[in-house]
Amino acid sequence: MIVSFQATIRIRESACGFGRALLVPSVAALLLLLLHADVLHAQESDELQLFGSMQTIFFHQDSRMTIDSPTENIHFTGSESRSTFALQQMDLFFRKEMSDNFTAFVDLEFQLNYSSEKHWGSLSLQEAWMNYHVSDALNIKTGLLYPAFNQLNEIKNRLALQPYLFRPLIYERLLSSKFLAEDFIPEHAFIQISGMVPFGDFFAEYAVYTGNAESSYITQSAPSGGIDTDVNENFEFLSGVDPTAIKFKLFGGRIGLQSRNEQLKCGLSVTHDYNNLRDSSATPIHLVTSEARSLFDKDASRWRFGADFSYRLGPAFIDAEMIQVLYDSKRAAEQKFELEQSFLHTMVGYDIAYPLTVYGSLQWSDYTFGLDADYFVYSAGAAYRINSDIGAKAQVIVYEETYKNDPQALTIPYNQKVTITFFFLGFSVLL
Amino acid sequence: MKWSSSLYFSDSALYYDASMKTHFFIAFLVTGIVLLTCSSLAQTVVIVNTSVPSSTSFDVDELLDVYTLNKAHWEDGSRITVFDLKRGKSKAAFYEYIGMSEEELQRIWLRKQFTGRARPPRSLSSEEEIVERVGRTPGAIGYVQNQSVKNNRNVRVVAKIKGTK
Repeated sequence: MIVSFQATIRIRESACGFGRALLVPSVAALLLLLLHADVLHAQESDELQLFGSMQTIFFHQDSRMTIDSPTENIHFTGSESRSTFALQQMDLFFRKEMSDNFTAFVDLEFQLNYSSEKHWGSLSLQEAWMNYHVSDALNIKTGLLYPAFNQLNEIKNRLALQPYLFRPLIYERLLSSKFLAEDFIPEHAFIQISGMVPFGDFFAEYAVYTGNAESSYITQSAPSGGIDTDVNENFEFLSGVDPTAIKFKLFGGRIGLQSRNEQLKCGLSVTHDYNNLRDSSATPIHLVTSEARSLFDKDASRWRFGADFSYRLGPAFIDAEMIQVLYDSKRAAEQKFELEQSFLHTMVGYDIAYPLTVYGSLQWSDYTFGLDADYFVYSAGAAYRINSDIGAKAQVIVYEETYKNDPQALTIPYNQKVTITFFFLGFSVLL
Repeated sequence: MKWSSSLYFSDSALYYDASMKTHFFIAFLVTGIVLLTCSSLAQTVVIVNTSVPSSTSFDVDELLDVYTLNKAHWEDGSRITVFDLKRGKSKAAFYEYIGMSEEELQRIWLRKQFTGRARPPRSLSSEEEIVERVGRTPGAIGYVQNQSVKNNRNVRVVAKIKGTK
């Protein structure tokens, strides 16, 4: 049976209930797909391709935190160390070419030692889509999909493709309590039209897509703060679907240029949707003023802008991307209250010899959501390809988080600094 | 006959010289023809299944697009199935021709596979296997040395890699 099998790894701390609810249907679907794979393997184009990746890690972390509030006479310094082993992530991919024009793809993801019995980690359906190929210049994809936004979004959970263990800040699931990826990037869309057209030694690429504004609108839970003024939500009678279906949709796209040998890639991305500020994870509701807090009762019109660039010259390579998130809020503007987020990632690497790659990266994020927060991540690491399917990786990360006093938004002067040093070791395996 | 007489030692030095020159010239000619023939036999060629539209262009850009999986369909809309060799002179010659290294292609294939865009080429061990699989797979493409093609009627040679021996 020609069933190609390959693998990646990754982590998350939430959604155990969601994982349990999905377990039975997911396992049943998996069995059906495997049975199907056996039956259809005879014809090259009809066979179900099954492959995946996993990443297992050991990490040690040293953390140090200081908090100062002169007016409240608060001064706190604390430190902590810990280390642990984890199966960071495993993904199983199913792909089937149903005809010359139709292709289906499924990505089933297990995170952080997933166990429904022990309520560990999560199991989620990350992608499940069907693509209709009209021509290379026109593809129509529908289903649950990762939309085109910069270059990392499409491979954010394909860790086996990357030299690092710890992803760039906003993509890293280990930091999901700090950073919700969907605050910066469109995590999922449901319809995407894309294509590429030859242009001398390059391809011009485009993609446009639509989907739901963000997953927080789909949750069944009540808003976490403020007054619920959303009429649609009060009339919610369906489970697991977007109750604000009429009001809030995501629209986005990307245009890009790629050299034919794929050594140079660059592009510009944009999305428009709404952010459910009541569910904003970064807002320290207990700290912000009542004026600022009133903003968080609302849905905010949001624009995300992205730019990406990657270039490879022989053994050397550079990857970079930046994201700027802006909110259209008159009330915030009236109160001179900033609502915006930024993210910058650069990585420079070198293939010393084919199996060994070394790299260094810098990430920065700015978060003005009720506070003036800055995040810096400095990272260096190496990846050694033991064979075509197994890679050994090591990485050192210094994470710095600074909350500064923002008198416009905070009830008390407040400064906080957190520095965490991580040491990661791990293996990435293609299944 | 000079040639036959030159097989014997002649008393005439002048006659010996002329005979030897002719001999060397003929030997040189024969060696050249043999080398040219061998060179021609060992040339790396690109083959496709006969179902592939004959109007298709197979210049280096086209082959690069096919092997980077950026071109997934032929002009008639049929899906392209790409075959690759695990190792060998043909592989080195073909990769050099399209200007890619094995590592670069592996990286590109892995990304395409893991994002669901394309299936990576099937990597086969022998040229005979490539010819056989290309011959029985509609829309297939591969590369081999031209003597491996033999008289397989299901494949068509569409490009010759310049400078290969």
